[in-house]
Amino acid sequence: MQVLLGGGLLASAVSFLYPVWRYLVPPVATDLGGDSVVAAKVGELKANSGKIFRFGSRPGLLVRTADGEYRAMSAICTHLNCTVQYRSDVREVWCACHNGFYDLNGRNIAGPPPRPLESYAVHVNGDDVVVSRRRGT
Amino acid sequence: MAGALKMKLTRQLLSLTVAAGCLLLPATLWSAEARPQVAKSSCVECHSAFPPPTGVSEAQWAADIHAQKGLSCASCHGGDAKDPSPEGAMSKKAGFRGKPKRTEIPALCAKCHADGAYMRQYNPSLRTDQLAQYRTSVHGKRLAQGDTKVAVCIDCHSVHGIRSAKDTRSTVNPLNVASTCSRCHSDANYMKDYKIKTDQFAGYSASVHHEAMVVRGDLSAPTCTTCHGNHGAAPPGVASVENVCSTCHVFQAQLFDTSPHKAAFAAMGAASCITCHSNHRIVHPTDKFVGTGNEAICTNCHAAGDPGFAAAGRIHDDLVKLDEALKRSAEVLDKAERSGMEVSQARLEEAQGRDSLTKARVTLHSFQPDKVEQDTQAGMKIAAKTYQAGLQALAERDYRRKGLGLTLITILVVLAGLRLYIRQTESKNQSGGS
Repeated sequence: MQVLLGGGLLASAVSFLYPVWRYLVPPVATDLGGDSVVAAKVGELKANSGKIFRFGSRPGLLVRTADGEYRAMSAICTHLNCTVQYRSDVREVWCACHNGFYDLNGRNIAGPPPRPLESYAVHVNGDDVVVSRRRGT
Repeated sequence: MAGALKMKLTRQLLSLTVAAGCLLLPATLWSAEARPQVAKSSCVECHSAFPPPTGVSEAQWAADIHAQKGLSCASCHGGDAKDPSPEGAMSKKAGFRGKPKRTEIPALCAKCHADGAYMRQYNPSLRTDQLAQYRTSVHGKRLAQGDTKVAVCIDCHSVHGIRSAKDTRSTVNPLNVASTCSRCHSDANYMKDYKIKTDQFAGYSASVHHEAMVVRGDLSAPTCTTCHGNHGAAPPGVASVENVCSTCHVFQAQLFDTSPHKAAFAAMGAASCITCHSNHRIVHPTDKFVGTGNEAICTNCHAAGDPGFAAAGRIHDDLVKLDEALKRSAEVLDKAERSGMEVSQARLEEAQGRDSLTKARVTLHSFQPDKVEQDTQAGMKIAAKTYQAGLQALAERDYRRKGLGLTLITILVVLAGLRLYIRQTESKNQSGGS
């Protein structure tokens, strides 16, 4: 009986401690997005280039303009939800699915996209380029 | 006492009046500001009492962009809009020309609208080639031949209440263009002399373009004038159809130009895009459009045994395979998400898989199965990866559930063991004590 009880108590202790251990040693960080995300490190993007970053489960587009300024916007085309990209040759945002174009403020300027891309606020915090949703949007 | 009461009532009444005044004043100011300032016209004073078509209400005239810009009835009809007497206002001496003939209307409007220097003072970016375009249109050509049934400026823009095309209440605002054209073009009786169909509006109303315009509120979606022109309205013609469609569908046109269909359609005298997609009733294409099934358009020309038939079948199969793979992946990810598992990375990749399907559906306009396969294969790889991610998330969920179940069983066993142990200890104590 005592052996059974001792074993049971030990197993219970393990079952209590295991979740604590899993909590203290979490899996590889999964950024759930929220209202703000580190989209890149300072210096990661050359001038006149762009990169797709993850904003929750949706793609965002961070652009560093030829002047070195950062711009960020949703990377989901407002036409048929394809992922847009930065075109350094024309310095505009482009959707490869149906040849839609947006300017660097996310405004739809050519092709089938009916609406602008949601634009995000960008600020540099230390080494991080942080992208946030604009308040009230 | 009575005096004090009277004074109190007077003060309350005064406060109420001031409060009501404060509430009403902005509304009064707003309505005065919102109402366009239009010069008084002796013409409208009389004609507002007449029934249409000679009747013009003050509200109608006040809404007219010409009135708002300071023009008067005399600008089009001649006469003197300031003269209070009908004889004076409509005197020949004052240049009164009355109701213009239909054949005169385009030139009359163009007196101002074709004068760049004159129009610049009102709207520097407004085009001034409307009359020149109109003369190239079917309407303009027929009018020149003396057909007064065809549309002239006022038939589309209305008269005495003409609004800017940007105004959603305008008859030529993109939202209203189709119904404006349909007033004549859907009237079988009115159109019978011209021997053209009258189902264009019904077809357009069922089209993907109409849906984009009206349901999704996309004012850049095409309406009648987008493909036919507005002042120069005419059917695009077989040779121009592709150019017209490609103003929006650029990639499809580029791919079509490289396809075997380009030369084949030209040889048949078939217009490119509309041969498969129709002209006005352009419905949302599905993967069943391409292939060898009952709903496939390809079978209109291709029969079993020819290479086009086989190519159509291959393209259809590739598209369907990817679509199904993406749906299967989405189903697993949905299930994992509903179970509280974190699958946002897989969701992000899944979107790229859908991009591949969209691209493949564009690439099919090359009608080259190998090119389509490149896109679908890229999508298939992503779909397989996201499906696995979903399965892993579900496996992790099952592992956690099993762990929880095992923990609960262990705790119950310990509780039961403790209970037994306590009872055993109590019975030992009792037997030892007795």
